[in-house]
Amino acid sequence: MKLLKSFLSVTFPLVVMLFMFSIYLIVTKVVDNYKQNITNDYAILIIANTPISSIDSLAEIKVKEIEPLSREKIIKGVKDNLSDTSIDLLQKKLPYFYKIYLEEFPTSLKLEQIRKELMTISNISKIETFSNNHNKLYSLLVLVQDIIFILFSAVLLLSILLLSKQIKIWFFEHNDRISIIQLHGGSLIYSSIPIIKTILLSALVSSILASGMLFVIINNIHLILEPEVMTLIPSVLSMEMEILQIFSLSIIIPLITFFGLLVKYKLQ
Amino acid sequence: MILAKNLTLSYDNKKNIIENVNFKIKEKEFIFISGSSGCGKSTLLKSLYGELPVYKGNLFVNKHDLLKKNYSKLLSLRKDLGIVFQDYKLIQDYTIEENIMLPLKVHKYSDDVSKAQVKKLLKHVKLSHKVGAYPAELSGGEQQRVAVARALAHNPSIILADEPTGNLDDYSSDMIWTLLKNANEHLGITIVVVTHRIPTDMGIKYRRFNIEEGVVYEAS
Repeated sequence: MKLLKSFLSVTFPLVVMLFMFSIYLIVTKVVDNYKQNITNDYAILIIANTPISSIDSLAEIKVKEIEPLSREKIIKGVKDNLSDTSIDLLQKKLPYFYKIYLEEFPTSLKLEQIRKELMTISNISKIETFSNNHNKLYSLLVLVQDIIFILFSAVLLLSILLLSKQIKIWFFEHNDRISIIQLHGGSLIYSSIPIIKTILLSALVSSILASGMLFVIINNIHLILEPEVMTLIPSVLSMEMEILQIFSLSIIIPLITFFGLLVKYKLQ
Repeated sequence: MILAKNLTLSYDNKKNIIENVNFKIKEKEFIFISGSSGCGKSTLLKSLYGELPVYKGNLFVNKHDLLKKNYSKLLSLRKDLGIVFQDYKLIQDYTIEENIMLPLKVHKYSDDVSKAQVKKLLKHVKLSHKVGAYPAELSGGEQQRVAVARALAHNPSIILADEPTGNLDDYSSDMIWTLLKNANEHLGITIVVVTHRIPTDMGIKYRRFNIEEGVVYEAS
């Protein structure tokens, strides 16, 4: 009974923490997916007096591609209303148009920095970053991601406090046993093997529970979210890496808490 | 071998319990440490297994310098010792077998070797029938026999016993003395016993240290 109580007391905060972590991972995955989609569509338009050779990066974001816009196409669109002389003149005077594609979707701050960097290039006469259209939904998603991260951090802190309290109780309850083992030359780690076993078992059980919850959420996400939000969710939401992260976290957090307390106990 | 040179022991570094004491205990000796209550007998024994740090002077137990001990050296010293306490100090949620097996586990003996050794010791202390019992199911005398068996389990070179018969009736006390005597006579283990009640008919050669007002002297 005592063993079960001890096991549940370690497992419960771990499950709550891992569940919160699972939600954070799902949101991160959705935001990353959405970010990738809009990054593919997003481009900055620049107008230059002379051809642009190359730009490697802007505001520390790598430039994926600089796509020149065909001047012939622009002239073709207006040449019906112009004489041959005007067309010749237009060909000579028409500036060069480019679309710059980036590797990452820039934040508003980065966009401003990009604008400033482009302005320093002398032959660029006009820049259009489409900052007004800069995706508001993306900002909202990042906000949600940040809020969930803050919540996860708070739950993590609370879980560590609960775990450390439980481990302290265990040390207190088994103080006699620990001192007897030490009197016979057994180390503190040796005398703590039962709690280490409990922690590892709790970590395994809680990571299975959290992974199970994650699996259920992913497979029933259409029931949880509104239909219009479903467009944000990638069609294939694979979570293999995330399950590995959950498992690692379930082991690392209680063990760090335990060894932290062990050092404190040893110093005492 | 145990060697104390100008040894001073103190709990609070203000009042000395044992002061400027010198003695030597050779291998295979049987030693009694006696004295009135509160004279510092148990304090001296505690210093021998590193429970109380040396305040001044030197104390060597099996070449372990207790003045320079750290945590790992302390554990290493205790692995060389067998300790018997007045209150037995058995682990209540361990069976008798598990309690006796404790020093063997610490020494990383295999399960088979440990079980065979426990079986032999339980027979020796006449408790073979209690192998699966828990300490609470045993009488005081039986618990102390288990404690002696545990102290003997890993063939230590020294056994330290703090009032091992303090809580026992005469019959159980005799059994404990016989066990300690046999360990000294037949296994060559050095025995250091703190007691205020030295048995009259030990039947073996022993030395007795008496403690009075913090001073240890050898009594005739």
